[in-house]
Amino acid sequence: MKSKTEQINNSEPVVAVDIGGLILKNPVMTASGTFGYGKEYAPYIDLNRLGALIVKGLSLEPRKGNPPPRIMETPCGMLNAIGMENVGVRAFIDEKLPFLRPFDVAIIANIFGETIDEYKKIAAILSAAEGVHGLEINISCPNVKKGGIAFGAHPDTAYEVTGGVKSLTDLPVIVKLTPNAGDIAEIAESVEAAGADAVSLINTLTGMSVDVEQRVPHLKNITGGLSGPAIRPIALSMVWEVVKRVSIPVIGVGGIMDANDVLEFLIVGARAVQIGTASFINPRATLDILEGIDNYLKRHHITDINDLIGTLRDGCPTS
Amino acid sequence: MSDVMSLLVGQIVQNRELVPRYFFLMSVKLPESLATPLPGQFVMVRVRDRRDLLLGRPFSIYAFARDKTAPVIELLYRTTGRGTIALSRLKSGEYLEILGPLGHGFDIFPEMKKIVLLAGGIGVVPLSFLASHYRKLPINDRLRIIAYLGAKSADHIVGMDRLQETCTDVKISTDDGSSGYHGFVTELLADDMESYLHGDSVIYACGPPAMMKRLAKLLGDRPISCQVSVEERMACGVGACLGCAIHVKAVGDKTRYRRACQDGPIFDIREIIWN
Ligand SMILES: Cc1cc2nc3c(=O)[nH]c(=O)nc-3n(C[C@H](O)[C@H](O)[C@H](O)COP(=O)(O)OP(=O)(O)OC[C@H]3O[C@@H](n4cnc5c(N)ncnc54)[C@H](O)[C@@H]3O)c2cc1C
Ligand SMILES: Cc1cc2nc3c(=O)[nH]c(=O)nc-3n(C[C@H](O)[C@H](O)[C@H](O)COP(=O)(O)O)c2cc1C
Ligand code: FES
Repeated sequence: MKSKTEQINNSEPVVAVDIGGLILKNPVMTASGTFGYGKEYAPYIDLNRLGALIVKGLSLEPRKGNPPPRIMETPCGMLNAIGMENVGVRAFIDEKLPFLRPFDVAIIANIFGETIDEYKKIAAILSAAEGVHGLEINISCPNVKKGGIAFGAHPDTAYEVTGGVKSLTDLPVIVKLTPNAGDIAEIAESVEAAGADAVSLINTLTGMSVDVEQRVPHLKNITGGLSGPAIRPIALSMVWEVVKRVSIPVIGVGGIMDANDVLEFLIVGARAVQIGTASFINPRATLDILEGIDNYLKRHHITDINDLIGTLRDGCPTS
Repeated sequence: MSDVMSLLVGQIVQNRELVPRYFFLMSVKLPESLATPLPGQFVMVRVRDRRDLLLGRPFSIYAFARDKTAPVIELLYRTTGRGTIALSRLKSGEYLEILGPLGHGFDIFPEMKKIVLLAGGIGVVPLSFLASHYRKLPINDRLRIIAYLGAKSADHIVGMDRLQETCTDVKISTDDGSSGYHGFVTELLADDMESYLHGDSVIYACGPPAMMKRLAKLLGDRPISCQVSVEERMACGVGACLGCAIHVKAVGDKTRYRRACQDGPIFDIREIIWN
């Protein structure tokens, strides 16, 4: 017979987390723009196993996106300037959402507007649709001329967009923050005051890369957003900073490739994480990560993942 | 639901230099679960444990065989940058990450009598696989496959040996005249164009954008269909990132972007806007 402690050690740890009232099976979500509308990765992974699925950013009307080349690899990262190509919120509901509804996974719509009014309209349309469980407001896209980052770089406009969307929806609202603003924690405080249920950070960092033979930028848009492991230490320090300043859940995003990376974010205080660029490299990255987290929790005898969140200790590693 | 496709680990059987520091032929042994690739499909290839080389590199499949032990794919590649140079340094026995086969293959037209292939440089890769596919069809007896192969110079001609096995005729052009016709490969095709306009021929092409553009112009609205394999930088290879945008015509005067990886890499040449 097994002893009582052995039984506890062998039982599955609790990994569910609460993101502003939205209960996720586990803290691993897909990052917007890196997982299509979900269907693209359905041949590769069981979508039911994700904590949440965040779809490509949606605008009120369809957007064509930027001319190519839109992406370029950089050391341990990539630049993208997709330009918010998307089918538009109505086509999303008619053509993309029906595929997702049968899955037992939280669907979060990432939304993007050029004006506050547009954000509000998109939020209202999605709130009336069946099968959307949360909204993520993108006030941090660096690749479009109007909207996006224009709202995310200032506490006042960030407040206004958040408040506007909140007034029109009962869905949990996550606000996605940009690392390209002066003080990201100040923006976080501002959107918390406006009623945000959670914040996610970071979106991509503005970057650039040049072909020296021809002396031209690698991207047609000239600059793009940097993602991938190159940005992880920056994302982590920003999450750590923001966690100290707000009491709403913080979702860590940026350069996460494996379970170890996720654990870093959880330990500094993130309640959940988003996996972006890693899915491009390995379509199964999210599920491999979940398995890795599970192993860690068991190895450290942690029965509930929430007991790990925000447990960063003083000092440095001893050998 | 079960996981259907996944990132595969392949083992290099051989990685041979065909033209020094330029063209390499690599064969890779893959797990049994590899889906049978169609001509025109591609794979994303990654050097393992190299986070600096973050993204997979797309390569068309050059050949495929499912021998007694395991499926083996062949890649033929040109070293142009960090990723392909790193690939060229790998030795047999080493491992690679492979995702695929991805994208749509070429449409096959069994009713056609003449299959015309137009290859610019390394563009020969998917066309060579296509030629061997056509040769395996029951219509083989009456099928003529004519390949037009363009290269910078005689020592940059690649893929000839295979084409000579599968094609009825292989015509060569070089930019510097060091082998075959002196000039663009599209000019070589232009000379024979009349003979392909009787409803019994189809053209397949792959090559640098300048060649494709000249081909599109040459074809105009002549009565012959033409499919091309396009190239664009890719991150995911599965249609999720929207990185690989190809500018195409849409209804009316409108244009839009389609994904090279998921909507292609094979397109009707007349759909694409070449700029
Ligand atoms: C569908 C498809 C099939 C291809 N088939 C072949 C083939 O059979 N043989 C072959 O030699 N090459 C092929 N290519 C081109 C090949 O992908 C590039 O040469 C290769 O990615 C260059 O990588 P690099 O790191 O050496 O170059 P770098 O310039 O250092 O690469 C930087 C980034 O740009 C991308 N990139 C650079 N050039 C190209 C290109 N021409 N097309 C797409 N992405 C590019 C790289 O993938 C990488 O992400 C194909 C491309 C596509 C899209
Ligand atoms: C190709 C691409 C497209 C993206 N599109 C969006 C988007 O539509 N909306 C959004 O909020 N973030 C978008 N992002 C940002 C990611 O969601 C994420 O914040 C960022 O990539 C950092 O995470 P990562 O390093 O794990 O990729 C995109 C990122 C990439 C690479
Ligand atoms: S490479 Fe990602 S959509 Fe084509």
